Amino acid sequence: MKRPLIVAILIAIAAVPAAAQNKGKRGFVWDDRPTIVFGEDVNIAVTGRALVEWRWFDPDIGEELFALRAARLGLKGDLTRHLDWEIEREIGVGDLEEEDDSRIEFGEWKDVFVRWRTFDAARVKAGRFKIPFGLEQNTGVSELDFAYRALGSRTIAPGRDTGVMVSGELGRFGYEAGVFDDDGDNAVSSEIQFVQEGQDLENVGPSFAVRVTGDLFRALPFTGRLRSANVGIAYTNSDVPEGLNSLRGESFWGTEDFFERVYVKGRRQRYGAQFDWSPGPTSLRAEWMQSREERNEQSNRNEDLSDFIANAWYVAGTWLVTGEDKDDDVNARRPLLKGGPGAIELAVRYERLGFESASTQGTPFTNPRADYLLPNSDSVVTFGVNWITSRWTRVIVNAIHEDFEDATRTPVPGTSSFWSGLVRLNIVF
Amino acid sequence: MNVRHLIRGGVLLVLFALGLSSPIFAQTSDDFFNPEVLQRVDIWLNETDWSKLKAAFQENTYYPADVTWNGTTVYNVGIRSRGLGSRSSTKPGLRVDFDRYNSGQQFLGLKSFVLDNLTQDKTGIKETATMRFYTRLGIPAPRETHTRLYINGRYSGLYGLVESVDKTMMGRVFGSIGDDVQNDGYLFEYNYVLGSPWRFTYEGSALPPYKARFDIKTNESHAESTIWGPIEELVRRVNETSSGGIEQAIADRLDLPAFVRYISAQNFVADFDGFTGYDGMNNFYMYRKEESSQHVLIAWDEDNAFLQADYPILMRIDENVLTNKLLSLGSYRTQYFNVMLESADSATGWLRQEMQRQFDMINAAMLEDTVKPYTNAEYAADRETLLAFPEARITYVRCEVAKQTGATRPSGCQ
Repeated sequence: MKRPLIVAILIAIAAVPAAAQNKGKRGFVWDDRPTIVFGEDVNIAVTGRALVEWRWFDPDIGEELFALRAARLGLKGDLTRHLDWEIEREIGVGDLEEEDDSRIEFGEWKDVFVRWRTFDAARVKAGRFKIPFGLEQNTGVSELDFAYRALGSRTIAPGRDTGVMVSGELGRFGYEAGVFDDDGDNAVSSEIQFVQEGQDLENVGPSFAVRVTGDLFRALPFTGRLRSANVGIAYTNSDVPEGLNSLRGESFWGTEDFFERVYVKGRRQRYGAQFDWSPGPTSLRAEWMQSREERNEQSNRNEDLSDFIANAWYVAGTWLVTGEDKDDDVNARRPLLKGGPGAIELAVRYERLGFESASTQGTPFTNPRADYLLPNSDSVVTFGVNWITSRWTRVIVNAIHEDFEDATRTPVPGTSSFWSGLVRLNIVF
Repeated sequence: MNVRHLIRGGVLLVLFALGLSSPIFAQTSDDFFNPEVLQRVDIWLNETDWSKLKAAFQENTYYPADVTWNGTTVYNVGIRSRGLGSRSSTKPGLRVDFDRYNSGQQFLGLKSFVLDNLTQDKTGIKETATMRFYTRLGIPAPRETHTRLYINGRYSGLYGLVESVDKTMMGRVFGSIGDDVQNDGYLFEYNYVLGSPWRFTYEGSALPPYKARFDIKTNESHAESTIWGPIEELVRRVNETSSGGIEQAIADRLDLPAFVRYISAQNFVADFDGFTGYDGMNNFYMYRKEESSQHVLIAWDEDNAFLQADYPILMRIDENVLTNKLLSLGSYRTQYFNVMLESADSATGWLRQEMQRQFDMINAAMLEDTVKPYTNAEYAADRETLLAFPEARITYVRCEVAKQTGATRPSGCQ
């Protein structure tokens, strides 16, 4: 029973009150998390997170009703005034009812990087970290407004990869530009490349990504409160090897593909736009993203097919009814541990992820080599209540409604609408 | 005859010529499976997929393809490797599904067809000759002919072109009552379970053993008790009832005259891998007729027919609970022998001629087939052996039936 033990330990650590202000202290201190301070700019902190949830489904889709969604432990710290670093790894994640938990199993590495930060205008990060595409994908789990990221953020946005990135601020604008080994964890090739005699294996990537963000409205004289809104655009480019290696559409819970992979070969490009605005206790976030994948020589007769296209967008709004300011790190005015109610936030998100081909000529087919692919999409509404009990803990309640365009390609073929819900305990420090 | 008549006549002549030349007007599924014609089927699929299909020939993975026959192309069909012992990496047997990627797509009213790779039959005609013979005897059997198969324009061997046993075929076989096509019954493909030969012994009241042996092909979403319950009941009744009461016990569950006709004809063609096969039951479909509890057997896969002319006429009848009990009844035993004699009569003059016709039709295609797993010399030798089968078998069967029934033995008996 090691996994529940891990959760208990993380809860215990998170429950330790942030008693001390530790400025100038050395040795072991609590600075939002357990930290050893060696000097002014040299320290090591322990990071961790556990996400435990109870959920329900209507109709039943065969998922477990209780799961440890994520458990991670990590270290982060500063080496000097110029360098910081971070490592984090998954531990024993899965359905809690599933197996004998007699030992801790380590999962995949998450962030593993070092960053040179001498200049604000040009910081350099190297290692494994998130490719700069997608507002929500690049938002940490403790700052998410919902238990799960939107489908587009999980599907089109590439996620983590190994690479080098330069980022910085130039006036009202920020930028990130990097080169990466592959094309992100969310775009891992499904198919071992089929190589015939005399052919060489082709690799995914390298991929290139760039994102520019800015407080664009600040420059306008008439926008009032909108001046604090941040907007951005992003782009990625990589090569994809031949095979059933396209992006695919998974249902919200990932149990079934509502759009299976198609054969691709050539270039994969992503385009993204984001909007982020947090006036007072409210917030409004929106993203649009699109991927286009080439299908060179992929027809039944080895001819080029039209591009495979994935489109996604979401609009999400939140309101902290207890009045706190909505920013990246919401602190309850009256924390639970000090006898208050904590912070309570209402949230709603509407999103859509759809797949199609550039060609719409003739009869559409589900065939992974069809020029005109029969489209399908998943539209999801999520209603949420977030109870932020402390800086490190929050309870998330979400009700989720999924609606598929093609009722034959859903988790339960013949049924197009699904309700589900969850109660999630987030412990993050 | 004035000019107007000339014009009319000319127009009619043109329309008639168009009708002859245009496949749109002429083609039907009967044309596709016309046993008198060696067809040409072209399959177009991505070269990578063809290589993958051959490399993973034991898997049932579908690949998209286009199919051309007689000037008409059907786009975006699904093809996969098929077969049991006949699976091959060099000459894969193929199943072609027109509706794999578009549920409404059909071709000539067909949802699918099978390309039999003929790897287990060095003559190439055992299956097609048997099915045509069954049809002569009124036994439900798929329509078949031969085809040259071209993959991406390259000749890829001689194949059997076989009608799928499916809802469409059930409609053809069982017809309509008024406007109601009689194809909404329950169709099962018998699944030979490797290492577990079955001879109609009762396997208990739980349904999984029957579910494992009878793959449902229609009405798959219905309750298991509705699908397999009647099969369990049929097997239970056969096993629990003495021979004397067997007819009364199962006549409403199995079309007994049709069943006896089928096993008798199958013995006549000396198929050692059929209902009373060497390793238990094998190679048939079973159909529970629409709004009925009665089952009928459908012939399937006769590659192993024509084993030898002196194949015993009651071979392994006593090993199968159903055939043993049923043929212990005088009336059904008599019918069994009568069908054997009817088969002999029907085969006389026809079977050898049909075999020769089919050999003549496929000969060049067979000789040019470089991916078949046998040599042209082996083909030629087996062809001669097979051509000798009908005459010897007819004589043997007549003699053996006479011996069994006490009738006067015809001349030529040993």
